[in-house]
This record gives sequence, structure tokens and C-alpha cells, in this order.
Amino acid sequence: MDSIRSPRKDDEPVAVRQPLTDTPQRRAMLGKLKRRPSVKASLIALLVITLTGLCLPFLAQQDPYDLTAFSVMDNRLPPMSESFDGMVFWLGTDGQGRDMLSAILYGMRISLLVGLVSTALALIIGVSVGLVAAVLGGRIEAMLMRLVDFVLGFPSILVALVLLAMIGRGVDKVILAIVMVQWANYARIMRSSALSERRKEYVEAAHNLGFGTGRVMFRHIMPNSLSAVLVLATVQIASAITLEATLSFLGVGVPVTEPSLGLLVANGFDYLMSGAYWISFYPGIALLILIFSLNLVGDRLRTALDPKRS
Amino acid sequence: MNHNKTQACAVIALTAALGATSVSAQELIIGLSSEPTAVDPHYHDLTPNNQLGMHIYSMLATPDANLIAQPELATSWEAEDDNTWVFKLRDDVTFSDGTPFDASDVVFTFCRVMNNESAIGSTGSSVVSNFESVETPDPYTVRIKTKEVEPIMPEMLAGVPILSDSIVEHDEINFDLENDCGVTGTWPSIDDFNVGDAAIGTGPFKLEKFSKGAEITLSRNESYFGPKPDWEAVTFVPVPSDGPRLAGLLSGDYDVIESPAARDLSQIKSNDAFDYVSTPSNRVIFLQLDIGRADSPFITTEDGSNPFQDLRVRQAMSMAIDREAIVARIMDGLASPANQFIPDEMFGAIPQPATLEYNPEKAKELLAEAGYPDGFKVTFHATNDRYINDSQIAQAVAQFLTRVGIETELDAMTRSMFFSRRSGREFSFSMGGWGSSEGGAASFLRQYAVTTDDARGVGGSNYGGWSDPEFDAVVLEAISTVDEAKRSELLQEAEQMAVDKLGFIPLHFESTVWAFREGLNYDGRADQFTLAYQIKRDTE
Repeated sequence: MDSIRSPRKDDEPVAVRQPLTDTPQRRAMLGKLKRRPSVKASLIALLVITLTGLCLPFLAQQDPYDLTAFSVMDNRLPPMSESFDGMVFWLGTDGQGRDMLSAILYGMRISLLVGLVSTALALIIGVSVGLVAAVLGGRIEAMLMRLVDFVLGFPSILVALVLLAMIGRGVDKVILAIVMVQWANYARIMRSSALSERRKEYVEAAHNLGFGTGRVMFRHIMPNSLSAVLVLATVQIASAITLEATLSFLGVGVPVTEPSLGLLVANGFDYLMSGAYWISFYPGIALLILIFSLNLVGDRLRTALDPKRS
Repeated sequence: MNHNKTQACAVIALTAALGATSVSAQELIIGLSSEPTAVDPHYHDLTPNNQLGMHIYSMLATPDANLIAQPELATSWEAEDDNTWVFKLRDDVTFSDGTPFDASDVVFTFCRVMNNESAIGSTGSSVVSNFESVETPDPYTVRIKTKEVEPIMPEMLAGVPILSDSIVEHDEINFDLENDCGVTGTWPSIDDFNVGDAAIGTGPFKLEKFSKGAEITLSRNESYFGPKPDWEAVTFVPVPSDGPRLAGLLSGDYDVIESPAARDLSQIKSNDAFDYVSTPSNRVIFLQLDIGRADSPFITTEDGSNPFQDLRVRQAMSMAIDREAIVARIMDGLASPANQFIPDEMFGAIPQPATLEYNPEKAKELLAEAGYPDGFKVTFHATNDRYINDSQIAQAVAQFLTRVGIETELDAMTRSMFFSRRSGREFSFSMGGWGSSEGGAASFLRQYAVTTDDARGVGGSNYGGWSDPEFDAVVLEAISTVDEAKRSELLQEAEQMAVDKLGFIPLHFESTVWAFREGLNYDGRADQFTLAYQIKRDTE
């Protein structure tokens, strides 16, 4: 009895743990990531954006969501104007008298928050569904995968629009809508990589050693199938941010009194013909930098993680 | 590559030149800010629909600039007694399909108003449902007997476009609603009008084609009985976004556009090739409060009460809002602060109303006095595509209210969603607009402020459930008073009560702007209609 049980106490077969520990390959991968100057710049930009997001209350000169902090009498001032109490609007003000710089900083924070949280949630749901489908197979697999096909069959913007029209607006609801349209991507990728892992010898070995399905699934197959999903996730953060910006631009995303980058662009759109370009322009630039950096890093990560290319 | 580009440029230049020449012909292209939903003139009582209807149809009477009815299809009218009106009709009018116009068409129109299954906004049914009987002693006389006294019958009928009875199969037409009025065929539906078969009128233009979402084309009705319009053909192109509409005017695609944004007017001012006209309108933008319910869905207070039921809170809200700032900063001066619900010069208005003051300090005191020293929380609902700058105005209102302690969260949405949710009484606090037309002050008061009574056809839009018996009595007396001086006096009294009790908080009156290319002229209208037959060539 003892001889059979003892392997069960050994939680970490070497083959399973390897990709998660510090290995020469891993170091080489990170090195490759750091070497490219464009990627370096992107990483720095992301770091700066994240840090500003965290320290916002100390950095922004105004809370753009506090309706008492600004006045409609200061509206549509061009960049570098001064308010009556001497505050300088570096990037001008919007149609309600909000400081654009503060609004952009806060907007970036919302965008990042939406991107990260919705991606994390979609990842968890997608990975679980994909894994369960791959490991259990049979009717459950067929059912789950048809559901995935169904979700992916609709354009994501359409699904999100309909959902938001039904449940109303708000950051939490936008996140929910994005999760609803994105989880299926992860599920499909996860299933295919889990399917190929499932037939490998170490999985067979684990089964033969008497490990339960759940344990094989989460401790053996999942860690080895994650790399493709993680690459997808970096790209999906950017697309989640784009989706949020699009929804807000269309007027179904965040409330007008708490503008995100997309809503700021939409608000400024009304003033483009009147010469107040700064209301749309600067949030647009901020959105561009954010998404561009995320995409570059994600792209580089994919190259680095691709075994065929290394 | 370069060669291709040059060619492309040449093609563009040529097209532009051709476009410019066709524009100078007898054709007028108008960029609309809001699209009509149907050609059927009785489908939905909306400004864009009524505006299109006035091109194709005529009414018995037509309102002049002061909204007093002037003869159109009727040459004269008189009230034989309180409940009987007699209209004499023109005998020289033919419909656009060549059939002559007579009293039978008028009776048919009244019948169709009451037999209109597709209608969603009941154009005319509030007038016709009051008819006891309609007689035609001769082909050019119509005698109407009413159930309740209707002192402004000609003005009310100025909103009912007259159809031709040739669009249905019928025996002799009579006002016998129970027996289908003598109509033997099927009643015309909204589609019959939209495809053009039933769109037969006596107006200055004929319908050529109604392509929903794309354009509406009209041609001149050569048999029109009134002065011939300057234009052989008119095209309406709906362009709801401000930017593209203005760009279309500047590039020569449109000759006239509705409601360019006030903030963009500097572009038109600085350009000699274009001009604009701005006219104060009868449309008031106001705040509607849920006063009827003790427990309102979107209000959060410490003790669970509904603060809107306290007059002091409503006064505080009115004082918290700087109307001058909204007019100056958001409407760019093209609006005027409202101190009552209709413009000062309209029938039944208070001639010189007291200014509703802006006093945030006093507002805070009043809130404290009413038992809300720390204010309360409320969600404010508004449209973002119906009224001029509506979402901007709503944000400014939220800003002003939050500053005196009423924490206001704004939810601005598209009009279709807003209107259906509002009529379901889902809101606690919302922003609306109403363009007063016939009856002056009575128009807003009977529709919005009086306690809802479907049988009498009043209070249909009183979504806040404000109910004040004293006020109701004055309005109901006013709308059934024939004597004009007495009616005006009663309406003024009612208007003053509405302002004092603040069941609704008026914000401002919109001004309407039309921009057009050089060489054209439009006087602008207080009812916000864009009428192609009143757009004239400049005579220099």
C-alpha cells in the first residue's frame, strides 16, 4: 500500500513544474523581450501608465468625476489656459470645464482597469471551459464547444451593444459585456492545446499513478497548455480596451459624468468642426499609446514563447 | 500613380462643379437634423412628421407666426354657439391626383383619424374624439358639434392634415363612426402612405419617393391653390450628426441645413458663401420631478422620504441652477433663460415673469430647512439625441445640483429608450422639452401639469404625478372658456401657480438655427418647422 501511495505525496513531478521555474530558456526569453528598443519603450510606457494610474489622486490636479471640482464657466478653454483661480489647464478643458489632462489620466486608469479585469475574468472562465471540454470530452465537450461557436459566431461589438442596452451602463457592466464576448476565444485555444497535451506520456503516467481527473487537469495539463493562452491574453487586453473605448464612444459604455478615453474622444467629436480639437485629440493619442504598447509587448511575447522560432 | 491622382482630382472637381450647377437650378436639397418616421400625417405627432405633412397636405386652417389660425382650405368659420362650429370651404381646390376637394374629404379625414390602427401618437384624435356630430349641409360647408366646449377649434384643426376620400373605396361619406363612415374598402395603413399610393394631398408639393434613412423627394404640385413655391423639386436628406450636416452644407451637398450647432456658427459667419438665421422657438426645456410617489426608485435619502414632495427642495433646485451660464456657455447664447413654461409673448403667458434667481447659498439654506442639510442622492435621466445640446445641458444641471449638496448622477440615453421608459414612469428626475403650439399656455399645462385624466384627454404626459386640485380647477376652466380675455386671464393665473409651486422646473427656451447657402432666404419659425415653400431666392 505504501509503495502505491508514496508517489501521490510527491506533488511535483519534474516534467510538470519545469516551465514555471527559472530556467535558462525562460531567462533567454525575457532577455529577448528586453533587447528590442521598441519593446523596451512600450514596457516603460506601460509601467508609467500603470504607476500614474496607481498614484492618480496625488498626480492629477483635479478629480474629473467630482462634479463640484470644475465649472461649466471654464468650458472649452484651449491648452495652457488658466482658470479664474490660477489653475493651468495644460491640455485645455472639455465642454463641461473639466481639465483634459486629469480626465485623460483618470480615463487611462479606467481603460487599464477594464482591460485587466475583464481579461482576467474571461481568462479564468475560458480556461476552465476549454480544459473541462478537452479532458472530459464526449457530450460535455460537444455542448461546450457549440456554445463557444455560438458566441464567436456573433460580432463582438453587436453582442456587447445588445447586452449593454439591456443591463444599462457602468464600468462593471462594460466589464461584464467584454467578458461575455471574450471568454470563448480562450476556451477554444485552451481546448486545442489541452487536447494535444492530454495525449502526452506524462499525462498518461499521472493517470497510471492513480491521480484524480481534477488533479491531472489542473496541476498537469493546465500549466503546460497555458503559454498560448497567455500570449492571447496580452493581445486581448488591448482589444478589451478598444472594445470599451468603442462602446463608450457609441454612448453605451461608462456614464457621461465619468468619462473614459473613448467617451472623451466621443465628446470632443462634437467640437471638431468648432476648432476645439484638443477635446478629442489628446485622449485619442493617449489611447493610441496605450494600445500600441500593449500590442507590441504582446507581439514580442508571442515570438519569444514560440518554440519553433527560438 | 501621380497621373491617377490628377485624374481623380479632376473627377472630383468636375463632380463638384456639376453639383454646384444642379443646385442653382430649381431644386432644393435640405439636410434634416431629425428624420420623419412616416408620410402618414396622422401616424405620430412629431415635429419632423408634421413638417413633412405640411408640404404634401393642407389643413382647414393654418397657424400664423403668432399661432392664430388663418384660413387655408376653409375660407371662414364661426361658432354658432358654444358647441357648434361652422367652416366654409374653398371651392377651387383639387388634390394632386386631380380629384376635386369638398366637404366629403373633410369628413373622411375625421373618420380616418378615428380609424387609424397604425397610429402611435394620435395626431388629431384628441380633437376629433370631442366631436358629437359632423354635418355637411352643402358640399362646401362643414358643421361640427362638440361634446365639450372647444374655444380654439380652428387652431386645433390646424393640426389635422386633410386627406382625399379617393384613396379608399366608399359609398356616401358621413360621420357615422359605428358604421365605418360609409367606407367599404380597407382603411389606408401607414405603408400605403409611405409608398405614395395614399399620399394624395392639396399641399404645395407632391410626394415622389420616401426612402427611409436615405432621402425624401418631393416635386411641385402644379395644381396647388396657393402661391407657387420657388422650387420644382425638393429633397430632404436626414443627417442626424451635427458635424457631417454642416460639412455637407459647406461642401455644397445641401442648400439648407437644420440646426447647425451654435458653436459652429463662427464658420458660417466668417464665410461669405453662407448665411444663417436664428429664431427663438416655443420649445421649453424643463425638469420633471417625481412628486406623486412617496417612494421613488432613483432617490436615496437617509430617512427614505421623497424630498421632491417638499416645495422648499424644489425651490432650492431651481435656485441651484445658473440658467444664464447654461445659455452662455453651453447654448452659445442661442437660447433664453425660461422663467415660465412658454415664451413671454405667447397667449396666456405671464407678461413679465419674475426672474427665477440663481442663489446657491440660499439653495443650501432651503435644503437644510427642509430637513436635508447633507443633501440627498438622485439619478437624473435625460436624452442625448433629442434636444439641442441635451446631454451637455444635463451634465451642467448635474454639476449645479451636486454643488449645493444634491448628489446627482446622470444617465443620458437615446430618445427611443428615454421616451418609452419615461412613459412607464421609471424615472425619479428627468429632463424634457415641449414646443407649445395651439392654445398658448394651455398647450403645456394641459399635457404635462394637470392631473392625468384620459377621459378628458388631459395630463397625458404628467409622468411625475404632480397633482394640485386648485391648479387643476383653474386650467380645466381655462380650456373650456370661450371668451378670450377671460381665458387668457385664467391661463396666466394657472401659469403663475405652476411657476410658484414648481411641479416642473423650467430651464430655457431653445432658439432654432437654419444655415443656407448664399442667395437663399428663410425667415425661421417659432414652431421649428423647415418649410421648403417658405425658403425664397434672394431678390437683390
